[in-house]
Amino acid sequence: MSVAAEPLATAPDPFVHPALFYRDDREYLDGTLPFVRAGLAAGEPVAVAVPGDRLRLLRDALGDDAAAVRLVDMREAGRNPGRIIPGVLRAFADDRPAGKRVRIIGEPVWAGRSETEYPACVQHEALINAAFRGRAVTILCPYDAARLPARALADAHATHPVVIPAGPGPEYRSDAYAPDAVAARCNEPLPPVADAMTFPFAAASLPGARHAASGEGRRLGLTGVALEDLAIATAELTTNSVRHGGGSGVLRVWGENGRVVCEVRDRGRLTDPLAGRHPAPHDQRGGRGLLMVNLIADLVRVHTGDEGTTIRCWFGPR
Amino acid sequence: MEDGRRTADGPGTPEPCLTVCPLEGGQGVRAAGEIGLATHTIWERALERAVREGEAVYLLELSEVTFVDVAGAGALAAAAERLGDGRRFVVRRPPPALRRVLETFWPGLSTIEVSMS
Repeated sequence: MSVAAEPLATAPDPFVHPALFYRDDREYLDGTLPFVRAGLAAGEPVAVAVPGDRLRLLRDALGDDAAAVRLVDMREAGRNPGRIIPGVLRAFADDRPAGKRVRIIGEPVWAGRSETEYPACVQHEALINAAFRGRAVTILCPYDAARLPARALADAHATHPVVIPAGPGPEYRSDAYAPDAVAARCNEPLPPVADAMTFPFAAASLPGARHAASGEGRRLGLTGVALEDLAIATAELTTNSVRHGGGSGVLRVWGENGRVVCEVRDRGRLTDPLAGRHPAPHDQRGGRGLLMVNLIADLVRVHTGDEGTTIRCWFGPR
Repeated sequence: MEDGRRTADGPGTPEPCLTVCPLEGGQGVRAAGEIGLATHTIWERALERAVREGEAVYLLELSEVTFVDVAGAGALAAAAERLGDGRRFVVRRPPPALRRVLETFWPGLSTIEVSMS
């Protein structure tokens, strides 16, 4: 099986982003091991960020070579898809010496991702293309073709310019590749839920909004770090509304399947599709609020449009 | 306690949101309240003064600070990076949010020592 380690001859962009379809462990290793080994042989930095069971499979197959690879359990580090670009992919790629291609295996979509998580996964896969445009980076994304629904494989064709099919066939350019359209489609409305704690806020009531969210989170069973993270996220989202979202907004907090959801709705509009996914340079002042929310929440969903912006984040017991 | 105390009124709230006053002996300050949008200016002014004062070890007593947002933590990190050779902040008993943000964005910043004692 050939793996897209180098750009296709006609591709103008040094960024390479193939989807790899696999049906079993054998196909998984056939598609990923040569990719990792070729990188190590060329002295290139290699990271593998995949779900824990896949990670163990690949680590065992790599043997001693595994020590030279950054291994990340995507179920933890990429639980929130909005965290993957800043917290996993760029956290690895940006830290590398210039002159070498960076290779990453990233598996953000797995069977068992919930209906609530899934649009954020697809949006993430679409945004990778914009986040890495022009960079000498290859991100190979395995997809479990045996267990994922057909919809997920169709979406992979829209978010990856190149697809490596399961089995012996050669890789091919995806005619369905349309990352901007996919990102727009994933900007799904988030209609208000009934029976949520509701707290309209403006500048003077920012501390009150945070206290209200914490109180409701505690009542719903959050403790410790998760409760602190709920307070941090509420503070950052409500402060953004006051500063950039028309000066006020509405906070809602409710429980959902054992987790606590915090939602902030305002009249602003996010214009940068990668908002909250740019890693902050050490010396940058400000601009970390939404990034922080992405880094600490279990899941973040965003809807933005002319009528305003809604950001929802989920926090579960840790 | 009253000398040097700075008080900010959050917009529309009658109560002070953050007070900063010198510690006895002068090698630091004690802050009380919360660090957020309404109080960033006071916090940043206190940090600027701390950088200017030139103490080798400058104590920020934060046990009565209930919350620090990301921008407030960022102001502390930026001030710490301006301290220069051999100087550091000792941040005493900060609220959990401050530690969480520092660990996320500025892990291993040698000019900030967090003390929980």
